[in-house]
Amino acid sequence: MTAVAAAPAVSPWRLSGAGLAARGLAYLGLAVVLFLPSFATDFSKTCSLAVIYALMGLSLNIVVGYTGQLSLGHQGFLGLGALVTANIVAQAQLPIWLAMACAVLATTGVALVLGLVALRITGLYLSLITLVFGSAISSSLFALARFTDNNSGVKIQRPHYLATNGDWYLVCVAVLLVVFYFDYRLTVSKVGRALLALKENERVAEAFGIGVTSYKLLAFALSGAIAGLAGGLYAFRGELYSEKDFQDPNGFTLALLFVVMCVVGGLGNRLGVVVAGLFFGLINELLDDLFYAHWVHPWMQHVPVLGSYYSSDVKASYLASLIGALLLLQTLIFNRGGLGAQLRPISRWMTGHRFELHDATHSGPAVAEGSSVRA
Amino acid sequence: MILAFDPQQQLGQPLVLGVIEGSVYGLIALGLVLLYKSNRIFNFAQAEFGTIAALTAYFGYNGKLFGIPWHMPWIVAVIVGIFLGTLSAVLTERLVIRPLFHQPKVIMVVGTVGVLLASIAVEYLVFPTGGVAALPSVTDVGLHDPAFRVGFAGYNVSWEQVLTLLVLVAMALAAVAFFRYSRQGTAILAVSQEPTAAATVGISISRVSLLTWTLAGFLGSVAGIVSIGGAPLLVPGIMTGTALVGGITAAVLGGVTSMPGAFVGGLLVGLVHQYTQAFLSFPGAQNVAVGLVLLLVLLVFPRGLLGSET
Amino acid sequence: MSVLEVSDLSIRFGGLQALQDLTLTVNEFEIVGLIGPNGAGKTTAFNCITGFYKPDTGKVVYRGQDVTRTPPHKKAAMGFGRTFQNVGMVKSSTVLDNLKTAQHARVQYDVVTGLLGGGRVAAEERALEAKADAILELLGLTEFRHLRVGGLSYGTLKLLELGCALATEPDVLLLDEPSSGMGPEESHELGERLIELRKAFGLTMLLIEHHVPLVLSVCDHIYVLNFGRLLAEGKPSVIQTHPEVVAAYLGGEAPEELAATAETPEEAALDEATHPVAAKKAPAKKAPAKKAAAPRKKASS
Repeated sequence: MTAVAAAPAVSPWRLSGAGLAARGLAYLGLAVVLFLPSFATDFSKTCSLAVIYALMGLSLNIVVGYTGQLSLGHQGFLGLGALVTANIVAQAQLPIWLAMACAVLATTGVALVLGLVALRITGLYLSLITLVFGSAISSSLFALARFTDNNSGVKIQRPHYLATNGDWYLVCVAVLLVVFYFDYRLTVSKVGRALLALKENERVAEAFGIGVTSYKLLAFALSGAIAGLAGGLYAFRGELYSEKDFQDPNGFTLALLFVVMCVVGGLGNRLGVVVAGLFFGLINELLDDLFYAHWVHPWMQHVPVLGSYYSSDVKASYLASLIGALLLLQTLIFNRGGLGAQLRPISRWMTGHRFELHDATHSGPAVAEGSSVRA
Repeated sequence: MILAFDPQQQLGQPLVLGVIEGSVYGLIALGLVLLYKSNRIFNFAQAEFGTIAALTAYFGYNGKLFGIPWHMPWIVAVIVGIFLGTLSAVLTERLVIRPLFHQPKVIMVVGTVGVLLASIAVEYLVFPTGGVAALPSVTDVGLHDPAFRVGFAGYNVSWEQVLTLLVLVAMALAAVAFFRYSRQGTAILAVSQEPTAAATVGISISRVSLLTWTLAGFLGSVAGIVSIGGAPLLVPGIMTGTALVGGITAAVLGGVTSMPGAFVGGLLVGLVHQYTQAFLSFPGAQNVAVGLVLLLVLLVFPRGLLGSET
Repeated sequence: MSVLEVSDLSIRFGGLQALQDLTLTVNEFEIVGLIGPNGAGKTTAFNCITGFYKPDTGKVVYRGQDVTRTPPHKKAAMGFGRTFQNVGMVKSSTVLDNLKTAQHARVQYDVVTGLLGGGRVAAEERALEAKADAILELLGLTEFRHLRVGGLSYGTLKLLELGCALATEPDVLLLDEPSSGMGPEESHELGERLIELRKAFGLTMLLIEHHVPLVLSVCDHIYVLNFGRLLAEGKPSVIQTHPEVVAAYLGGEAPEELAATAETPEEAALDEATHPVAAKKAPAKKAPAKKAAAPRKKASS
């Protein structure tokens, strides 16, 4: 969300040597923080999930944030990516990267089909279609015996050079960084401008020479491709493909969680969405750690509703989705810019601007993005 | 996959089950249509009001609710369930819809998605043991002749199913009548069609909105209560998982604004669901079939099959 | 040579014949006016010409090429620039970004290169920005460069929209009521500006306009539409005296247009000189004509 282009012309302020050094240190710190989890076996697995969620956030953000269409079926793409990757590796014994490429192709193809539908059906009706898409594909295709190793789940193995959870976590982070870069390029190139114009007013976009059909399809294809990639990472993260992860009610909750991530992060706001994705990926684990901490557990048991957290079949994810729902409503009602708007001063500082809490002179579509979503 | 054709199993049974299942969809669809008429949104939490009602009724009757074993009489448990389900709709209107009243519709819809997510989470926390057992059926608690069955289309219908169907149809008729004949009903319609004009003739939009959500919550709750008799498992989110998509498809089939259309749409979806189950055996065939129906209707008849603004 | 040739264009919406057998020609470097009362089908004609509507019958030929069925974005790339009646811009973007968006069809890199980034893309982006700045300066809008379009005043928006249309590098420019929201003074300036722009960019223009003095002063040729049909065409001097045009305007819904001729002294004088009859008769006939028009309007809708 850092439209760098025009700012220097507006403010005479220049980046000093010390400022540059401070920012360099900040990037170094960020790199260290991203790298550290790879040393912890269990925690790095959780962090991989967080990174996969962040990728899903970016994927959904293209559809919801950039084109302004609500998708409630993105778990279908994640699951399809995982299914294709796992089955190709397990059944055809192809190398992992080729399998993931196939997964990307498959999800891109399906996303294009959904995009074709989106050409005809828009707004709230499209959200219904995506809802049905997610539940239909996960209950049918995902559950076919030949894709689930006769319902026992497809077991796969990471290659020996990426055997540990920490290794795989680093792969996930690398993919996230690459996708993040492409998403940044998307918003600062003609593609982002075209999508924003399309989202706001298709006729104006056409008058500007923007092909509605091709750009809508492009948006869906990109979204599908990222989700397919995330699905491949997901399959190898647990070294297992199980359709139950994506079937209702899990799948439905997952799809809603992705929407929550996008809204809480700030629609159209790349950085906010990634942070929100990481947060929701980590929160299950962090909540467990918190609730079972020795200074919390003894008295938390007696809190009326929250105490039931300790009973056997309540999973941390439900508390997480409660937090997610509350954050979502909070964002919608009080703070429509989302997390991204809160993070903006920091992200601007990190990209070589002056630290300002309220940047009046800002340029670029960033501020606009969070606040303009149409049906 | 079909070994032998058995007309009773493959024609009669799906018909009966489809009508019963379909009337649940129809009831959910009625609530959806109602809210679409008043707020121009789809309420994704509609079916979940039913789960709240069902879980409350079940645990009030046969378990612990907020840590207390109430052992409510069956009918009291049902009333309390419907009350809590309706209350959750009222709270939704006050806490979520009202603050988002003047926002774009898609924001309001995302708001209902938030309500759905929150409801499921709260259900897990409030009903932690999960309703693993099936709910007591009407035959257990009310009518003392479980063996009595009515022959219909070559298929035996239980009293429970007959009663369920009667309740559903009565509810649907009552809802339609309410909008045709009562003052509040016509006020809701007036607001949905001309909000500004309605306000100038002294109809309070705020009160009408609350009333609409109350009714929608009530319809959703009844749908939840009646459909749990047949549900194998009663878990949080169950109504959303089983009836939301069907209800939405029914509403769209009926043209989104027509209440009779919604109910008839529900019956159609129920029949499609049951007949696909009877004739196709690959996993999820019913969901795919309903999805295709929805897609087809939206592509070919964007205004619905039976729809007209009433 | 004719740039745009429209022949026998007809389109029907349900029971309404919005356009019937419209034929018009726009020659190179001409400014052609399209006028008529509200609901005469002017904007419909624009939408057919630019490809937003598919006409039922008829042909649109651009420089010898049949473009009747060409979609609007392709027409934009061919050189059709257009503005909208109710301001067509990306409201949540800044002025600068709108001007860059408008250059979409002229961008020199493809989608994949754009996503990859690199020096060539950066250079092209700078070029887009330079072009945008040049247009802003030309129109005197540089001060608004970083502002969100949504917050600007209507007059500024109309001018900016013209800038966006220019940024598409048009060959033929179709302007839908460019002077709406402007006072007589400003619209007079606009007229001069249009003539300047024609010279600077070598433009051919087709113009829908309600502000009659502006049309009379800038247009080389005028077409008058009424109820979807061509009522009259000719040079401004011919149109002014055309009895049917005068009747249509006075009997139609927008008598204030001709009355507006009296609003600025110099324009009134101009009218007086070229065409004393219309200018004098117009205000006198206004009131009764309006009443007479009412039933006719009902019958048509």
